[in-house]
Amino acid sequence: MAARFDYAQAEEIARAFASYGVRYLFIGKSGAILLGYPDTTQDADVFAAKGEANGRAIVAALRELGFPLSDSQAAEIVRGKDFVQLRSGPFDLDLVFAPDGIETFDDAWRRHVDVEGFPVCHLDDIIASKIASNRQKDRESLPRLQAFREYWLRHRE
Amino acid sequence: MASGDSKQRREWEAEFAAAAARPLRTRMRYAFIRTYKPVLDDAPYRSFDTMAEYRQWCQKNLPDWLGYGSAV
Repeated sequence: MAARFDYAQAEEIARAFASYGVRYLFIGKSGAILLGYPDTTQDADVFAAKGEANGRAIVAALRELGFPLSDSQAAEIVRGKDFVQLRSGPFDLDLVFAPDGIETFDDAWRRHVDVEGFPVCHLDDIIASKIASNRQKDRESLPRLQAFREYWLRHRE
Repeated sequence: MASGDSKQRREWEAEFAAAAARPLRTRMRYAFIRTYKPVLDDAPYRSFDTMAEYRQWCQKNLPDWLGYGSAV
């Protein structure tokens, strides 16, 4: 079982992805947590832009981080799957290339928030994605997340 | 019921304020946990061509109590 995700690993993602020029955003509950939402989660969710160049950059960065990707797995990431779940690396990571409820990566990038150097989807996009995915666990947590949105908007600098 | 809702809201706001007072590094230490999730954690790698395909796989293969299934 992989280690618990922590701040240092988030920094490693940011450093490795920046060094290879990966276009990405933290999304999902891990993104909300970076924005200040107090809750628990297990893995980091990254929304990455689709495209061959970004896919190659992601593969290079993930291998540097210690994810043992085979050539066929790397080829899938480059070719552009909508969702890739990695459980073999130093921490658990979900790569989402087409999150429900968000039109394009560029749309999300225009609205994104920088949190101490971590690029994070705007809370409205995180909520839109959770509404659109319509999972039981998201439906149950949405009222609290929406309450946090109101708090967050009131207290943003 | 309304007063229950507002009590709940006040409790949440207190939690949000407490979290906001902590540094990000501390918030992350509290937030990221590690527990085994059956089926989901049993493969080192999975990929799906579409999100719909992923949702269908979750619905079909994961225990209901994990909450990955579609909300009714």
